[in-house]
Amino acid sequence: MGHTSLEKIIALQRNPANIRNLCILAHVDHGKTTLADCLVASNGIISNRLAGKLRYLDSREDEQIRGITMKSSAISLLYAIGEKEYLLNLIDSPGHVDFSSEVSTAVRLCDGAIVVIDAVEGVCPQTQVVLRQAWLENIRPVLVVNKMDRLITELKLTSQEAYIHLQKILEQVNAVTGTLFTSKVLEERAEKEKEEKEEKESEASGGDQVYDWSAGLEETDDSHLYFSPDQGNVVFASAIDGWDSGMAQFAHIYSQRMGIRAEVLLKTLWGDFYLNAKAKKIMKGAQAKGKKPLFVQLVLDNIWSLYDAVVTRRDKEKVEKMVTSLGVKLMARDSRHSDPKVLLSAICSQWLPVSQAVLSMVCEKLPSPLDMAAERVEKLMSVGARRFDSLPKETQELKQAFLQCSSEENAPVIVFVSKMFAVDTKALPQNKQRPLTQEEIAQRRELARQRHADRLAANQQAENQDALPVSCPALRQPKLEEDEGTKETFVAFARVYSGVVKRGQRMFVLGPKFDPTQALSMGCSASDALPAVPHLSCCSMESLYLLMGRELEGLEEVPSGNILGIGGLEECVLKSATLSTSPACPPFTPLNFEAAAIVRVAIEPKHPSEMPKLVHGMRLLNQADPCAEVLIQETGEHVLVTAGEVHLQRCLDDLRDRFAKIEISASKPIIPFRETVVRPPKVDMVNEEVGKQQKVAIIHQVKEVSQGRLSDTLHVDSSGLVTLTTPNRLATVAVRAIPLPQDVTRLLEDSSELIRTLEQLNMSLREGRRIDVSPRTLEAITELKSQLESLLQGRKWRNTVERIWAFGPRRYGPNILLNSVEGYHRPSVWQCLVKGERSGEAPVVRDFDNSIVSGFQLATLSGPMCEEPLMGVCFSVEQWDIQSSSEPQHQDSVEEDSASHEASGDGTSTAEGTSETSAQAEGITAGPSQAKRRTEAGSVDCYGPVSGQLIAAMKDACRHAFQAQPQRLMAAMYTCEIMATAEVLGRVYGVLGKREGRVLHEEMKEGTDMFIIKAILPVAESFGFADEIRKRTSGLASPQLVFSHWEVISSDPYWVPTTEEEYLHFGEKADSANQALKYMNAVRRRKGLYVEEKIVEHAEKQRTLSKNK
Amino acid sequence: MSIFTPTNQIRLTNVAVVRMKKGGKRFEIACYKNKVMSWRSGAEKDLDEVLQTNSVFVNVSKGQVAKKDDLSKAFGTDDLTEICKQILAKGELQVSDKERQSQLETMFRDIATIVAEKCVNPETKRPYTVSLIERAMKDIHYSVKANKSTKQQALEVIRQLKESMQIQRAHMRLRLVLPAKEGKRLKEKLKPLLKVVESEEFDEELEMVCLVDPGCFREIDELIRCETKGRGSLEVLSLKDVEEGDEKLE
Repeated sequence: MGHTSLEKIIALQRNPANIRNLCILAHVDHGKTTLADCLVASNGIISNRLAGKLRYLDSREDEQIRGITMKSSAISLLYAIGEKEYLLNLIDSPGHVDFSSEVSTAVRLCDGAIVVIDAVEGVCPQTQVVLRQAWLENIRPVLVVNKMDRLITELKLTSQEAYIHLQKILEQVNAVTGTLFTSKVLEERAEKEKEEKEEKESEASGGDQVYDWSAGLEETDDSHLYFSPDQGNVVFASAIDGWDSGMAQFAHIYSQRMGIRAEVLLKTLWGDFYLNAKAKKIMKGAQAKGKKPLFVQLVLDNIWSLYDAVVTRRDKEKVEKMVTSLGVKLMARDSRHSDPKVLLSAICSQWLPVSQAVLSMVCEKLPSPLDMAAERVEKLMSVGARRFDSLPKETQELKQAFLQCSSEENAPVIVFVSKMFAVDTKALPQNKQRPLTQEEIAQRRELARQRHADRLAANQQAENQDALPVSCPALRQPKLEEDEGTKETFVAFARVYSGVVKRGQRMFVLGPKFDPTQALSMGCSASDALPAVPHLSCCSMESLYLLMGRELEGLEEVPSGNILGIGGLEECVLKSATLSTSPACPPFTPLNFEAAAIVRVAIEPKHPSEMPKLVHGMRLLNQADPCAEVLIQETGEHVLVTAGEVHLQRCLDDLRDRFAKIEISASKPIIPFRETVVRPPKVDMVNEEVGKQQKVAIIHQVKEVSQGRLSDTLHVDSSGLVTLTTPNRLATVAVRAIPLPQDVTRLLEDSSELIRTLEQLNMSLREGRRIDVSPRTLEAITELKSQLESLLQGRKWRNTVERIWAFGPRRYGPNILLNSVEGYHRPSVWQCLVKGERSGEAPVVRDFDNSIVSGFQLATLSGPMCEEPLMGVCFSVEQWDIQSSSEPQHQDSVEEDSASHEASGDGTSTAEGTSETSAQAEGITAGPSQAKRRTEAGSVDCYGPVSGQLIAAMKDACRHAFQAQPQRLMAAMYTCEIMATAEVLGRVYGVLGKREGRVLHEEMKEGTDMFIIKAILPVAESFGFADEIRKRTSGLASPQLVFSHWEVISSDPYWVPTTEEEYLHFGEKADSANQALKYMNAVRRRKGLYVEEKIVEHAEKQRTLSKNK
Repeated sequence: MSIFTPTNQIRLTNVAVVRMKKGGKRFEIACYKNKVMSWRSGAEKDLDEVLQTNSVFVNVSKGQVAKKDDLSKAFGTDDLTEICKQILAKGELQVSDKERQSQLETMFRDIATIVAEKCVNPETKRPYTVSLIERAMKDIHYSVKANKSTKQQALEVIRQLKESMQIQRAHMRLRLVLPAKEGKRLKEKLKPLLKVVESEEFDEELEMVCLVDPGCFREIDELIRCETKGRGSLEVLSLKDVEEGDEKLE
């Protein structure tokens, strides 16, 4: 067969009965692309000689270098059996776990799949995965057992042993299929039972109910699912040597030679049958009688002897004999070649060309687009939990269109885009350079000649006058071309399910959440202006392509049942979409990805000025990759989330070379922490009860440290109450830090949005303005209050909810400021709830009320441990005295002097800082009292610094109060769900244990041998986790990580051994892995804070630098 | 006793000398390198790891030990360990290489952290990461000065970075309420200080919400306070105008 012409393909596209859409699936390195190569070679696109070495469909450079496929790519092939010609749309898919998203995109577009299995390795983890994927998408698989040559040359099995080995592999595959089948049946059954139960409950009718105990397995026939050579859905092959052996072929050959009917032979060739040579009859029970099974005798033995002659013994004469008997013509240079493999593949590719059996099997066993199962259509069309029956009538009618797959003009067009891929603009057919025809060459020559003449003339003129501008247009042109050359164009990887797609046609783009009922009620068509239906937009098909591996061919129209590329959709399609001319069409069910994106890295440009380019590039990457996610975090980090390390590497390469075209660096993302306090422990580290004396000792220690700096204004008493006076000795605050119960913290965190609105309300109320609040928000606030009240019970928390002063940080965080000052009744945060009753005891807001709040906000925003926000801490202000600052005017100014002096000592920025905060405090308390005070004080701006001082004092007091309690670090936690088979369970636990993970529970998935393990894992330990777990379990376990909550790390970062027992246990330095200390120091080091660490551990062990010794 | 033979002399290597003048006399002690700063910061608690020998010298390199009388006259005690501690705490010393290096490194980080906290990318209103700022600082070859405060240097860095990348200080969002009378006049005066005026309402009072550079906050504050004699008010809505929450790029 020569080079396939485009016209022929177009002609074949019109006949869906002869179209086969199929993909090749397998574990990594089982020979998908090599097999694809052989199939491509059969069409003459590449030479037979290069098949298996070129890896034609691996068009990316890194794919060729690494030797693994990283994307799915399609190619259209022709195949003819007798009279019938078939068009095969073949999609090659990657086998690596990281790219299983690409497999999903490929599987969705196909009707059938070739599952390739390595004859030596057998069923591998990814094989199971792809079988499951094929199963979930309802597509029919056929099996190719590849690398048969390895059985002969590497394992040196005899043909008999090989037969048994192959049988085992088939059993394994069928076991996997069987499991999928049973789990599906069980699931269906469970669903049915549930429904029945519901029905029964609703009916509530008595009567004897006969419970059906049978598992339902018996009723359902599953024989058609299994792979067996006698069914004709298994082929044994060696793609690298270029041969394969389907049953049909051999049956055909031997039926002639032995005079046994082909059908009989086909049935008996695989299985426990043997040939009775005398009787020329096929008998049963080969194993029992110790005879060679038919398959061994007729098929394997022949292949074995060929290998023996060509590769092992290199017997020239025998080879020649075989060659003649097989009727194969051998090229002289092949037989002379020193590498026997060349000779072998030359013989094999003529004797049993690989494409023959595989392609005929594909054409016979895999369904055409016409026989799409109704079940599959329903599955595609019913999104989420919606049942197909519940869809509108018009939509249900579309099912017929699917099933007919008609290419009539009036049939509704339905297209599914499974992924977008980037193509160099230069590679598009309209921009490609065609070989020039004779005439064009002549024309160009003419042009060049003329130009030359012009230039000569111009030169002559130039001698007379300066003719500079002549060169200008010539210079400009190449620049423009360069600009175009660097662009990437997105082409959608799609399939037509119904109707004919034409170039320039306008279609609806249906987003995943689009609901056909809404659109139908509006009644609109694609030609209209865009209707206002959510998740619906319009686009036009700018160009259509035939996908030919690395190349694209432009097409005018594509009839239904074909796979195609669509250009010009990058504006309206993000990753995948459903396109249709009918608004009744529902969006297809989203692709199910086996591997979720879990490997997170932060990406930065090497040169900070290239940030916009990076963002643009990441946007393109997001569109081009079905699995990658990109996001910008609140910290300003640009985070890329990928499925695995290999995938990450590919994404980075793409960013660097294609999308952003800048130098980038990827690093570990910043890990957030929270700081909190806990109740003092009852037992020490060796489980001894902590005596009262010792507790005092610890606090004493803290006091010593803190008093080192601010000894005269700070006082810490033994119960943890911190009293602090401002530097001008006018104001004193006493603060105590109390740990909040866990539930309260969680509640506050969950309702942060509500608290934010509450704060806004309060602010406007304080100014005397009224904002109309919806009753729903008020209700929500009331509920929050009552919830808090129910959670904060006990003697210690009496009436606390009423006394809440503020939340922090940023006014809506999970920390509370409590007003426990005697005789100070300020309006509580709940004031918006009690609108009418303001008449009673008028609450008074003291001056500088806001300074206290601001101090609290600053303190909660960055804690003393490592400047991370606080969480779950309640600061209770127990005492707050201010001497009226207006009367001792003189003293005030003096003090203010000293204060400002102190501030300016730190440089301009601190001065600015205090003024910032002080002014903030002031501005917010723009109440009437403030205004009054202002007039009192007149033009003297002395109180500004006073409020600033109060903020600083409050902040310090909070920090000291925090430090007076046992401090703890809180780590962000992931919940981690791992699916693993029983044999790797132990290794999964090992990895989890090493990374401080904790297993919550583990259960077996019903009907399968998979275990589901639920664990929690600190975010700080998750870097490289996915990779490690995959490596250790050889890919049999796949984790999924989702952020769940904050958890207190139980160890105290400041802990040092104090008692005799503790010394005994931990030694003097206690440097045995204090997790909290490790995290804390890492954060402090990152931020450039002081870390209590010696620069040199051992003074004597430094390198001696003196010369005279 | 000053016979210098190889057998009766103790040679000290890796010496860092800490000197102190007290009572008109100079005293020196011999310490290990890279250890004195750790002692002062409290990280090193073992005195033997700091001191080479606990004798006090007049001149370490010559091996001249201080006389007992001088010591007790200057320090009021003859407990050598106590005197060593005093000299360690208050004496002057040459900072060793590693100490200086770690100090500069910490300051460098600190400066980068402050810059990252204070600044945003004006296009996206999102902060830059610390590591990006660090890289940018290295690109402009910023050298840390050990004797200037980190905050001061951070402001300097911001100014220099503006030339090479898109960076600006995060704006403060303010709400100004001005009495109607002075409103117009004051607005003219404030205009050069305000970056963006987000909303403006003028009925009984002039109410404006605007973004300003934190650097000129003080000026605005003073201006309003003096000009309106306490009737105008100023309210900080947010200290840093940054985007909150994560954003998915799509």
